[in-house]
Amino acid sequence: MLRRTPMTTAADAAPPAGEPQATGATPVFVARGLCKSYGSGDATVHALRDLDVDIWQGEFVVLLGPSGSGKSTLLNILGGLDAPTSGRAAWRDHELTGADEAALTAYRRDHVGFVFQFYNLIPSLTARENVELVAEIARDPMRAEEALALVGLSHRLDHFPGQLSGGEQQRVAVARAIVKRPDALLCDEPTGALDVETGKLVLSAIARANREVGATTVVITHNAAIAGMADRVLRMGGGRIVAIEANARRLAPEELVW
Amino acid sequence: MSALDRKLLRDVWALRSQVLTIALLIGAGVAVLVMSVSSFLSLRGAQQAFYAESRFAEVYAEVKRAPSTMLARIAEIPGVAVAEGRVGGEARVDWPGAEVPVAARVLSLPISGEQPALNRLRLIVGRLPEPTRHDEAVIHVAFAEAWQVRPGDEIAVILNGRRQRFRIAGIAHSPEFVFTSRPGSPLPDDRGFLVLWANEEAVARAFDMQGAFGEAVLTLAPGASEPAVIAELDRLLLPWGGRGAYGRHDQPSHRFLEDELAEQRTLAVTVPLVFFGIAAFLLNVVLGRMVEAQREQVAALKALGYPSPPIAMHYAKFVAAICLLGSALGIGAGAWMGAGMLGNYRPFFRFPELPYLLPTWLPVLAAAASFAVALVGVLDALRRILRLPAAEGLRPARPAAFGGGPLGHLGRGLGARAKIPLRGLLGRPLRTLLTVLGIALAVPMVVLGLFWWDAMDSMVELQFDRIERGDAFVALTDPRPSRAAREMARLPGVLAAEGQRIVPIRLRAAQRSRLLALTGLPAGAELRVPRDANLRPVPIPHEGLALSRRLAERLGVREGDTVQVEVLEGARRVHDLPVDVLVEDIIGYTALMEIGALNRLMREDDLVSHVALRVDPLAAEALWRQLAERPRVAATNVKAVWLRVFDEVIAGLVLTSAVTLTGFGVIIAVGVVYNSARVALQERGWEMASLRVLGFTRQEVSRILLAELALAVLVAVPLGLVLAQWIVGLILGARDNESFDVPAVISTTTFAAAALVVLGAALASAVVVRRRIDRLDLVAALKARD
Repeated sequence: MLRRTPMTTAADAAPPAGEPQATGATPVFVARGLCKSYGSGDATVHALRDLDVDIWQGEFVVLLGPSGSGKSTLLNILGGLDAPTSGRAAWRDHELTGADEAALTAYRRDHVGFVFQFYNLIPSLTARENVELVAEIARDPMRAEEALALVGLSHRLDHFPGQLSGGEQQRVAVARAIVKRPDALLCDEPTGALDVETGKLVLSAIARANREVGATTVVITHNAAIAGMADRVLRMGGGRIVAIEANARRLAPEELVW
Repeated sequence: MSALDRKLLRDVWALRSQVLTIALLIGAGVAVLVMSVSSFLSLRGAQQAFYAESRFAEVYAEVKRAPSTMLARIAEIPGVAVAEGRVGGEARVDWPGAEVPVAARVLSLPISGEQPALNRLRLIVGRLPEPTRHDEAVIHVAFAEAWQVRPGDEIAVILNGRRQRFRIAGIAHSPEFVFTSRPGSPLPDDRGFLVLWANEEAVARAFDMQGAFGEAVLTLAPGASEPAVIAELDRLLLPWGGRGAYGRHDQPSHRFLEDELAEQRTLAVTVPLVFFGIAAFLLNVVLGRMVEAQREQVAALKALGYPSPPIAMHYAKFVAAICLLGSALGIGAGAWMGAGMLGNYRPFFRFPELPYLLPTWLPVLAAAASFAVALVGVLDALRRILRLPAAEGLRPARPAAFGGGPLGHLGRGLGARAKIPLRGLLGRPLRTLLTVLGIALAVPMVVLGLFWWDAMDSMVELQFDRIERGDAFVALTDPRPSRAAREMARLPGVLAAEGQRIVPIRLRAAQRSRLLALTGLPAGAELRVPRDANLRPVPIPHEGLALSRRLAERLGVREGDTVQVEVLEGARRVHDLPVDVLVEDIIGYTALMEIGALNRLMREDDLVSHVALRVDPLAAEALWRQLAERPRVAATNVKAVWLRVFDEVIAGLVLTSAVTLTGFGVIIAVGVVYNSARVALQERGWEMASLRVLGFTRQEVSRILLAELALAVLVAVPLGLVLAQWIVGLILGARDNESFDVPAVISTTTFAAAALVVLGAALASAVVVRRRIDRLDLVAALKARD
């Protein structure tokens, strides 16, 4: 299990600027002094440099930045897939840094929903079965049909991935991520492989999940147009958060223009 | 070295475990090919050299007593090249130290003191007897080695009831006794059987054959017809008590050697094909996967202007590299095993020289054969490389098209996790079929190694517990009135004695004929109990024959048919007799009738030629000594000795084959399971990493990936057991060996052991792959498509 940390530790360091006023009083994700480097000597690549961030309950956050800005590394650490070189990251009272493999697996299983750039569906399972696959290992899942209805795919339940378009496949992936009623929904370039219209369909599925399941949602993109639908936009560059923008009004995906 | 060749080396290195397991399969095939062909050639080479050098006779004719002048008549038969007469007979040896009586075959050497014209001896030490000395002898090397006999030693032989001492002048090999065994025994018993050559005068005097011969041996002129010569020979010798001439094919030593050579030939053809076939299938899967993974590279090379053929050649070289590695391993192992096999043969086949021959073309042929079969396996992958358009490869591959079809929704009612392996198997039926078949073939390989123990046990049980229930079998020097058996029953230590009359016959059914011994048994015999196919005792027919089922099949004879029996003794009368019943036997061919009926057929009195004894084990040794001294006893065969020799000779051979074939079974099981698992991981690693990201544990992911193989193994093992029974039956059925019938008996223990070996090998392979699953790169799953 993850180590439980007294909340005071999270509050020890000064919170970074720009928290939204509307959401809960305590952050669900807390990261302090995160550094991540690969390689050694002259070849060292610093993916994250002394990064602090708080993300709040139910928030819709977009991580925006060019390739190599560190957004994927940050998402991987928050998702329990990767460990920082130094600094710490916690989800609520669970310490993510220093946790062992089994604890991180349990964390992902119980609390996190992932959406990948290339959908990563199991080709031999239908849409419904792909969703059921995750429901089978979840504590309190919704019905697979319900999750697929949320992404607007009630009419494609028994189709295999090979029979679905890219956008449909990605919406199955979103359904698969939300069927467990995750506390956090982490999406890595979810529209990266899709055209505009299809991308919007996927984004509205994600937005709806965020709204109706209440999952704290972090979406990685290098497409600035998507920023409009976020509560907050964290702009990244050189392994740091270089700007935080709060949107007064979240745009619906249909309103996005790119 | 070109850049592509450097890539080749790195690819081989990156896939080294798969390369090695496939190379081992190829190596096993090459090894069996090299081993069986080289030991076949070595045996054949030694046989031909020795037969030529010693002028091994081609036709043999035994006769009761023919005047020496008949030899000139025989030599004039058209087609006869050389004819020579000699005197010979059965004898006993009074050998201190032998726990049971030693049997001997005594043969004469020409009166000139020179080598015979045919069947010359190859002296390894000493010399031939001086022409004037009647007390000198040459003995066969098998007995000499078993008892460490040297020239100058003395040996006492009871010839025709008379004891005679010989001084050993020399020790020799003989083409007639390359395989040396007591008459009727399919196993060599070097300590219990002696072949002795002495001057003709000494032997003739002992057997009362002066001025006569008891056996004619001949060679044929080129182009001569053997059956014609044999027919003429029979006609000439009939008045003198001819016992029926026969060709080299029926010469016991030659026939045994030919049986073995035939088995090596079968092995050389069948077993390597199994290995090469499985290797070709695995190469098909592995290379197919490699090409799929390297589509972008292939397309990029094409886009850069590389023509297709060198790229296809690059992948063909990958296959060649594996074949080369496998062949190198296989040629080394095959040469080693072949030399070892020859070592195993040495106690069976006594040649003056048995050098190991490995002609240079053999390794080349083996390697080329493996490469040819492997290329067939990868044709499909190579064709795809040639056809791949440059642009196509630069787009990511679409997800495996799955869906539709009758299998599309298979597994309804199961959890999603269970559906993945099930559909994985059924979505690629051909690959699944070959995987299952590949794993299944590992089972018969192990069973073939282990079942010999069962077969031997069953043989011994049938032949010696159920059919031949006596403890010893005594051959008399000549047929005696039946009271001889009753007298023997009164010897101390004898619990029961039954007289038998055995006469040599030629059995004819339509065009087929066969030389064998016809045994007359008393009705209600207890020491020799003929049994039917269900092993129930069969009453001995009153007038007709009880015939070996195996022989009946060979002759195409059924119960109720009539066969022609030509008695090759006495007046050589010919009778038509009904086959009343078929009986089971294991060693040699049985033909039985009631002893009274046989004696009436022979127009003789109540005679016996052999006596079966049941013996008190505590008094046995004293009894053997006593029997050895009785003048009318020609030989005593003791069951316990036969069983001991059987154990000694067979156990070593069976152990070697069990270890080798079990090793091969493991190579197959590991080769198939490991490569299937690795390919599955290569193909589905991305999916599995995705599942890990979604919160599946290592164990759950491993289970999903390996369940497919577990299912394949679970189907394969029972299939393998059925295949094993079938293949063993097939091999034994095709085995044309009349010396021994090996029953296709496989015990539950053997089946269980084979299943466990294959399951164990599969499990070990799975564990190795499982460790790779644990190291899956989760972050990569988020990004790269494949």
